[in-house]
Amino acid sequence: MTDHTDVTSGTDVVSGNGAPGGVPLAKFDDPHLQPYAKNARRAEMLIAALLLLGLAGFCAYGGLYWVGGQTQWEGVFGGVGFFAFGFGLSAWGKYLLPQGPFVEERHSLASTETEVEAMASAIEDRGKMVFYRRGFLGTILGAGAGVMGIVLAFPLLRSLGPPPRKTFDTTDWRAGSYLVDLDGNRIHKADLEVGGSLTVFPEGFAGSSASQTMLIRPGPTDVDIVTLPGRETWGPRGYLAYSKLCTHAGCPVGLYEEALQKLLCPCHQSLFNILTGANPVFGPAPRPLPQLPLMIDSAGFLVAQAGYDQPVGPGFWERS
Amino acid sequence: MQKRLRVTHLLPGLLVVGVALVGLLTSGASVSQAATPPTTVPAATASATTATTTAPVAKVVLKSATSASSTIKYNLPPSSYIAPGQTLFELNCSSCHGVDASGTARAPNLQGLGPSTVDFWVSTGRMPLAVATAQPVQKPPRFDRKQTLQIVAFVNSLASTAPDYPSGIPTVNLSAGNLSEGNSLFVLNCAGCHTITGAGDALSNGFQAPSLHKIYPRQIAEAIRTGPTQMPHFGPGNLSNQQVTDIVKYVTTVIQHPVDQGGLGLGGIGPVAEGFIGLLFGVGGIMLVAFWLGDRK
Amino acid sequence: MSAITSRPGGRVRGRQSRRANKPDPVVAGVRWLDERLGVAKGGRTLLDKIFPDHWSFLLGEIALYSFVVLIATGIFLSLYFIPSAKELIYSGPYVPLRGARVSAAFESTVNLSFSVRSGLVIRQMHHWAADVFVGAIAVHMCRIFFTGAFRKPRELNWMIGITLLILALTNGFIGYSLPDDLVSGTGLRIMFSIVLSIPIVGSYLATFLFGGNFPGDGTIIPRLFIIHVLVVPLIILGLLGAHLGLLVRQKHTQFPGHGRTEKNVVGSPMYPTFIAKTTGFMFVTTGVLWALGGLAQINPIWQFGQYEPYKISYAVQPDWYMGWLDGALRIMPPISWTLWGHTIPFVILFPAVLFPGICFNLFYVWPFVEAKVTGDRAEHNLLDRPRDKPRRTAIGVASLAFFFTLFAASSTDVLANFFKISLNEVVWFYRFAVFIIPAAAGIFAYYLCLEMSGVPGIGRRKRAVVITRSAQGEYESVSTEPRPGDGEAELAPIPVPGRVDLNGDPEPVEAASSGVRRIPRR
Repeated sequence: MTDHTDVTSGTDVVSGNGAPGGVPLAKFDDPHLQPYAKNARRAEMLIAALLLLGLAGFCAYGGLYWVGGQTQWEGVFGGVGFFAFGFGLSAWGKYLLPQGPFVEERHSLASTETEVEAMASAIEDRGKMVFYRRGFLGTILGAGAGVMGIVLAFPLLRSLGPPPRKTFDTTDWRAGSYLVDLDGNRIHKADLEVGGSLTVFPEGFAGSSASQTMLIRPGPTDVDIVTLPGRETWGPRGYLAYSKLCTHAGCPVGLYEEALQKLLCPCHQSLFNILTGANPVFGPAPRPLPQLPLMIDSAGFLVAQAGYDQPVGPGFWERS
Repeated sequence: MQKRLRVTHLLPGLLVVGVALVGLLTSGASVSQAATPPTTVPAATASATTATTTAPVAKVVLKSATSASSTIKYNLPPSSYIAPGQTLFELNCSSCHGVDASGTARAPNLQGLGPSTVDFWVSTGRMPLAVATAQPVQKPPRFDRKQTLQIVAFVNSLASTAPDYPSGIPTVNLSAGNLSEGNSLFVLNCAGCHTITGAGDALSNGFQAPSLHKIYPRQIAEAIRTGPTQMPHFGPGNLSNQQVTDIVKYVTTVIQHPVDQGGLGLGGIGPVAEGFIGLLFGVGGIMLVAFWLGDRK
Repeated sequence: MSAITSRPGGRVRGRQSRRANKPDPVVAGVRWLDERLGVAKGGRTLLDKIFPDHWSFLLGEIALYSFVVLIATGIFLSLYFIPSAKELIYSGPYVPLRGARVSAAFESTVNLSFSVRSGLVIRQMHHWAADVFVGAIAVHMCRIFFTGAFRKPRELNWMIGITLLILALTNGFIGYSLPDDLVSGTGLRIMFSIVLSIPIVGSYLATFLFGGNFPGDGTIIPRLFIIHVLVVPLIILGLLGAHLGLLVRQKHTQFPGHGRTEKNVVGSPMYPTFIAKTTGFMFVTTGVLWALGGLAQINPIWQFGQYEPYKISYAVQPDWYMGWLDGALRIMPPISWTLWGHTIPFVILFPAVLFPGICFNLFYVWPFVEAKVTGDRAEHNLLDRPRDKPRRTAIGVASLAFFFTLFAASSTDVLANFFKISLNEVVWFYRFAVFIIPAAAGIFAYYLCLEMSGVPGIGRRKRAVVITRSAQGEYESVSTEPRPGDGEAELAPIPVPGRVDLNGDPEPVEAASSGVRRIPRR
């Protein structure tokens, strides 16, 4: 409640006996009560125009809605309607209402020191009343509350889904898995030209997230490509296969830069060198893309010799 | 203190109205358009076309060569084009590629790359090269269609085409294309580099996957089959002629004429442009109103 | 402003007793509420509440009204969106997708965009409002920081505000991931990998949340939906109430000026002036968002298609407010440790988990850090001009420059493509720029503040000085009048009047027996 302090500019104070505080009074010609606008008439007309424009906008939107609507014109009508209407209303508040300025006293938030101490003592003393010489009970209470907190976290977390177990360590690739495209067609050794690339999956698991693999044919078609020691047989007839899951954050590394023989990941621009075992040469990826060992069966179809020799995709705690 | 209502105080309003008008004009909205979306995709060429160029020329008759299916026909320019082609080649290309197109230190060997390769590079204006950069970019072609075909004929005559390149210039039968197949093929094979809206983006080491908005159906098929610069090389065993037709149909209709139902497309590059607009016009525009509404002191 | 005069006993009677045959409905209404809720006294205080008028105090309102738009449009959207990853064949009006296998979430969003009247404009409005909401929180936070409004007694409100920022970021990310499209699904894949990178518990948390290895069993969509429309909005609403409640209780801060002290607030009263202005401002915000929603396309999911884990696009930045984290992920060097059979992928853990954790914790403790360092533990209700606190301003500018650089680093590929620079060079540039630019900006800001403090009248419009030369060659300079509006001639503030004599003719008033003066009213 405002204090009835003396104020300036021709106001007067009315006080009532017993009523808390007084109610300030102002005369009509007090400059604080005058509108902000120098020319109130002109301001009124402009505000009226704005409000009318708002009204028109709303009507136009309503009409457009009834005849079926159209996104861009809905945006114009609704936008102009709300904007003009709001602009007019704000202008009314700024230009036509009493310009003030008005003042309000702040009262200290803080209580007196005595009151603070009284509150603290109340908490402390009454708390002591609870636990005085009953510390053992308090301990049991605390232990119970602690266990409750821990146990209540179980349904909140564990019930949500399965534990990881070995799910990050393996894919659906096995020894003898035929390479297929998304439609399930087996890949023949004559399918890709030099410089060609294709997304492949193990047969029966087309579309699998963890098993997605980039099949690339960087090399001459009659030569086996060796990327690293121990991988002499992994790249038959110019073909190489790498896991498509980026070892950084798991995005599909689908950008085969043919001239540079690199794989670029579009998410954070990790760059992998295909000819040296897809090791990262730029960007944040910390590990090479795992390579799938390939072979060609008697009919000429591409087959995996085995699954990946390490977990695919981004790193995790249990990855050794 | 009393103030005049100035026109400058209406600036935020004018700004929004201005944006609205610009949006209207560029999005081509019309009041009569109903809320139901287009039931047909905005039209592109629906029948088989030969390439069109800016300069009107007599329809070029190509000698029919191999043709695996009715979706793409591969044709060669007539052999009468070889001689004028040699002249053009010597004048414009041989300084880098050598008189017999076998390459020099500055430019690769063109023999055996096939007519599609040469046609793609020359008709998209990438060749002749203006400035030696990491990757030649699309620009207005220097030669008209006939001249381009003459150069193609000449280079093609120098050696037989390697088996992993098409032996002719493709003519795509767009009406045989399947839009949804093209959609899923495009997403799997092309969107990774060219973006899902075909806007193009930067690859590593100064290379780029170019925008797909200004390319002809024939050139799309050529690029797919010949794999220029960083682009992978998709042969018939990887993408059949039908699949290439599907992709070309998808690119020439949906990519090049996107359904921007929501208004200004903002370049089709997603949240980068959206954030810019949202902060500049959204937050900035409303802040201008706040600046008008409040005190300055 | 209407008058209420009172007599002993507290019962309001003055006006009614004069007009016995025409009871004033407003008085009756107030009495009805007052007899049940006791609103008259406190309500009067609320109506008189003063709001300072400076323009920078409206920035928080931009955030507030964007949130109102989010709730309103969000309710509309939730009546159409189907939060399910169940697959179906699309057969709607967008031809290129016909026959494609899509999730119900995706299909319902495309349906909303094409087949529901005003659906697309409201959906886009919702998305633009989210972008603007976070942007407004950011500029509001800057205002609070640079003027020192977070100081005692407002540290709690600052911390609530930081929490609101975190919740806004979270809900925005979840919201644009709901339609299950190619671009946002890629973001979810990255989020999965981020959770996975947490030591010890990461793999468990990831599979718990998603229901298995990515993409999980499909429960992620309905889970994110309920978090997005129920859990987080409830928390935001509660905290927003506390945020505004503290503002009412502690009253607003104000800049120093004519008649303003630490012990008062000068400005406009709540009713009717502030309500008029702020309601108008709410409509203005709605109007801008509505215009954006109809004219500027955002998140055209039909062009992106359904998300599948083997699909990818390029230029797949997250929405702008996540850009600082994406930029950090891009420029981080490839550091990963494998020790004793366990891997700590620091290359993801730091930029996406530890770094934002450190940042937000620094934000939270800033009021206390500043109080400790400066030794200033006094209560502050008057604001600083940023130039008067050069160290704080420099730190703020450096932080802003740091985040701006990270945001820019999120668009490395787009920048490389636009300016035709090598992508590798752009990434290397940002690896260094993220340290150099904030340092330079901070130092620059510091000295700029010192400079500005040293120049009197800086930033104010100068008065013209007319120099005349007398016939003898003597020069004389004469100041001209200040321009209207520049002078100091401002009225002294007065308390909000309880009663205004609208008729103009001051009449002698009759004194009542108890000392109450009644004013005649026609």
